[in-house]
Amino acid sequence: MNPSNPPQAAEYGGDEVSAIVLDPGYSTTRAGFAGEDAPKSLIPTYYGKYNADGQEKLVFGDDVFVTPRPGLSIYNPIGKDGIVEDWDMAERVWEHSFMSRLTGTKAGNPFQNGLNDVSADELPTEMEVESEEKPLSDSPLLMTEPGWNPAKAREKTIEIAMEKWDTPAFYLARTGVLAAFASGKASALVIDIGASNISVTPIHDGMILKRGVQHSPLGGDYISSQIKAIFKANSPQPITITPHYLISSKSAVEAGQPPQAIYKTFPADKAPDASYRALLEERTLSEFKECVVQVWPGPTRLSAPSPTGVSNEDMARTTPGRPFEFPDGYNQVFGVERFRAVESLFDAKAAIPDPDSSFPPPTPAQTIPELVKASLAGVDVDLRPHLLANVVVTGGSSLLYGFTDRLNHELMQMFPGPRVRVTAPGNTSERRFGSWIGGSILASLGTFHQMWISKKEYEEHGPNIVEKRCK
Amino acid sequence: MAAADVRDMLDLPAEGQPRPHKKQKVVEKRPEGITRELYALLGERAPPIAINENKYKGRPKWMNKLRVRPWSMAPFTNNARSDGLVLNHWQRKHESARPPVPAPAPAPAGSQTEVDKPKEEEKEDVSKLPEQEYAFAKYNVKPRLPRRYTDDEYTRHLTSDDWSREETDYLVDLVTDFDIRWVLIADRYDYQPRMDTKPDANALVPAKHHRTMEQLKARYYKIAATMLSIEHPPSEMSEAEFELHEKMLKFDPDRERDRKELAALQLNRTADEVREEAMLLEELKRITSNEQNFITERRELYSRLEVPISVGNTTMYQSSAGLSQLLQTLLQADKSKKRRSILGDSAIPSPAGQTPSTAGGLGRAETPVTQAANKKGSITSKEPNQMVRTLTSAEEARYGVQHHERVSAGVQFRSDRAQRLTQAKSNVQTQKLANALSELEIPVRLFMPTERVCKDFEKLIQSVNMLLDARKVSEKVESEIRVLEAAKMERERKSREAAGISGPSADPEHPHVKKETEDSDTGLLGHSTGPQNTQGNGVQQGDGNHKRSASVLSGVSDKSNKRQRR
Repeated sequence: MNPSNPPQAAEYGGDEVSAIVLDPGYSTTRAGFAGEDAPKSLIPTYYGKYNADGQEKLVFGDDVFVTPRPGLSIYNPIGKDGIVEDWDMAERVWEHSFMSRLTGTKAGNPFQNGLNDVSADELPTEMEVESEEKPLSDSPLLMTEPGWNPAKAREKTIEIAMEKWDTPAFYLARTGVLAAFASGKASALVIDIGASNISVTPIHDGMILKRGVQHSPLGGDYISSQIKAIFKANSPQPITITPHYLISSKSAVEAGQPPQAIYKTFPADKAPDASYRALLEERTLSEFKECVVQVWPGPTRLSAPSPTGVSNEDMARTTPGRPFEFPDGYNQVFGVERFRAVESLFDAKAAIPDPDSSFPPPTPAQTIPELVKASLAGVDVDLRPHLLANVVVTGGSSLLYGFTDRLNHELMQMFPGPRVRVTAPGNTSERRFGSWIGGSILASLGTFHQMWISKKEYEEHGPNIVEKRCK
Repeated sequence: MAAADVRDMLDLPAEGQPRPHKKQKVVEKRPEGITRELYALLGERAPPIAINENKYKGRPKWMNKLRVRPWSMAPFTNNARSDGLVLNHWQRKHESARPPVPAPAPAPAGSQTEVDKPKEEEKEDVSKLPEQEYAFAKYNVKPRLPRRYTDDEYTRHLTSDDWSREETDYLVDLVTDFDIRWVLIADRYDYQPRMDTKPDANALVPAKHHRTMEQLKARYYKIAATMLSIEHPPSEMSEAEFELHEKMLKFDPDRERDRKELAALQLNRTADEVREEAMLLEELKRITSNEQNFITERRELYSRLEVPISVGNTTMYQSSAGLSQLLQTLLQADKSKKRRSILGDSAIPSPAGQTPSTAGGLGRAETPVTQAANKKGSITSKEPNQMVRTLTSAEEARYGVQHHERVSAGVQFRSDRAQRLTQAKSNVQTQKLANALSELEIPVRLFMPTERVCKDFEKLIQSVNMLLDARKVSEKVESEIRVLEAAKMERERKSREAAGISGPSADPEHPHVKKETEDSDTGLLGHSTGPQNTQGNGVQQGDGNHKRSASVLSGVSDKSNKRQRR
């Protein structure tokens, strides 16, 4: 193709209007320009709060991980079920997500930014001060929401976008729908394994089927709690995670030997809050999940006997273990435990009991196969085979090793009749940012531009228009 | 001299294979970036790794001289929107608005005007653009829905006990919103009836009325069909409209619901059921693929069964019967040939040309002899030494192979032969036979005329015939006896009269004789039955007319008993 010719508009149907796509999640918030293939701005949804000089200060973005400031405590504006709880802070976090990388802060008065040498007497005395400068006044904004977002939260979202950010056009799309779009499907059954929630969303013709939307809290954080329970029960000694910021230096030790590290200590008045430590422990745990944890590939459950008569657990024991080194230098090879950590996503009975965990033991109805079953039960019969043939897996926690294989086996066992086909992008970023990518596609389509809720419409109809337009 | 001639002379095969290609010299292209001398040193074998890298090919040089066509961020409106939202996108600037080659700069005095000029043009562009139709607006299509009903129309045609006006409105709104996508409509259907009375009475909150998709469809289709017929009466509808109207009128929610239940069952099959189904499907596939095989085998078998004994064996023609049969077959073959030519079948296949496979089932039934003759020809000419298997008697029984001493030409049915047995020479006799059979509860036309059944039937008919004959004889004898007795009595009476003495021994004889005459009378009336004993007779008369005609056999046996007693 001649590079100097633009692609024909009809070929890909794109018409970019420099819209911003904002995909807020429980663990991370993704933002970027529509039409790109990955979000430019990826920040944690967690924010830090501390007191300095008698003032309350806030830390956003990746900065939260960096400095263990005295009294720094970590919060998340989004509740465990994926619905925003603290609207003021959510607005700040979201604002940070696009202000820091995409729109930038508005240029200040050129006379005052220190770049121009202007003598004091030359300063114009009367300046039109644009105090009401708002961050998004020239970009349409597409935001995402989970399928079970209540109407009140949706209205609140459009209020923020229209009134606080002054966006000329706004749209609120479901994460499930967008993940399906990212896989190129208008009808699909989207299984989203996020940090705080797993959800199953049936999509038909680019719209969710509300009666089929199912979600349960067995997400990445739950897996972390299971891993912690494994660490506690570990032999020869229980493992404690010491985050990097507490280690001054470490030396190599043999596997299973107690760590030899020099720790940093913080005096009580300088130490950060316990929530800071928990946040950093979580980072180590996600590294553990990436390197060690594995989903039993199936076709039967880990606790079931395999067709050869040997129990699956014994089979798992024969596979070579995986080593992992903790920040303090302690290292160990993990054998069958690494399968147990995630088994309860498929088999509620396999959950590792842990009285200290903030997660109640899972019920059978919360496991993925049951969620899928319940979801399909809420959908018209004629649609079910089609949905099963278009299962889309998305979400960061679905990157667990062997997850899609197991899911495929579970679905095939549950529905032996119809054809089951699981679609999961192999690319890590496509899996993690599935809903953002879908939003990026949607917001850059020429045909989509009639769907935006414009400022004028918002002013005419009020925030209730989001219920009418974003069905 | 052409190559073909030479070939001909040398008895070479005609140009069967193409001549081998001339070995072409493979000239490897010298890759760019290597001097010719260096490349020559490499010899014939190319190096295993590429020497030159793939370079990024930029745009060709001549393109650099072209003027860059500018793009501009331009606002646009979308006709598919009602609010006139203005968004910005990058767009090529209009080429036509500008001269293709920038005009040479005029005198420096006019520099001011030059600066202004492009600005004006830009403004023109900008003002011009929104006038254009937005390219994607044409994709904003809506399905055609029937006109909304008015209040009057609703009350006249559409009132329903089950559906309130408000709910109907809600349904129609939803259908419009979701463009008749029923899956979505049923999913989002959430009608809350307005509670006018006592909103605080919690106890009286009506249970949520859940509507299934079928109910929604049934209601909407009724509305749509009614509205359609109001707009155009069915007689004036176009074909498509009428079809739609019919389809909507004929919607059956119950059937749809049943179908969905079945679909759910089908979906929730267990693994075993699925496996079984797969197996059955496999079996079916096997059967259908075997069927073709089977058909050809059967055809072959048929053709083999119809083969007359091969001509090589002349022993059968040595007897006179054999000769006459041969003559008959030939004659019939001739006749059928003639008939065919009369019928205008110009292309009579030569006997050798007609293979068994071309003879269809029908043709065989119509002209069996022709085919037999044809086959004879074809087999003698084509397959002279076709294998003939000799079967053992057990095998013969199994395959139902029989040997007839005398085979009459043509097809005949065994049942016909059995039927013929029941036809006697006289009608009366036939009737009698039929009566005997019906008394034995044997149908006149046999249900299953297998060979064994036919044989037994034949025997049965024979014995029935025998019995009938015996009865005839016995009747004759009895009547003779009666005549003679009467004559004897007459003689005795005369002699007694002559003697003047009445014989006391004759008295007991009288009633018996009388009865027997009576019996024979009834027998005559009832066109059967010989003399019977009194008891049987009474029962028969009580039973009615139709029973009287029964029991040929019992009558006969009674008779024989009587005779024996006597």
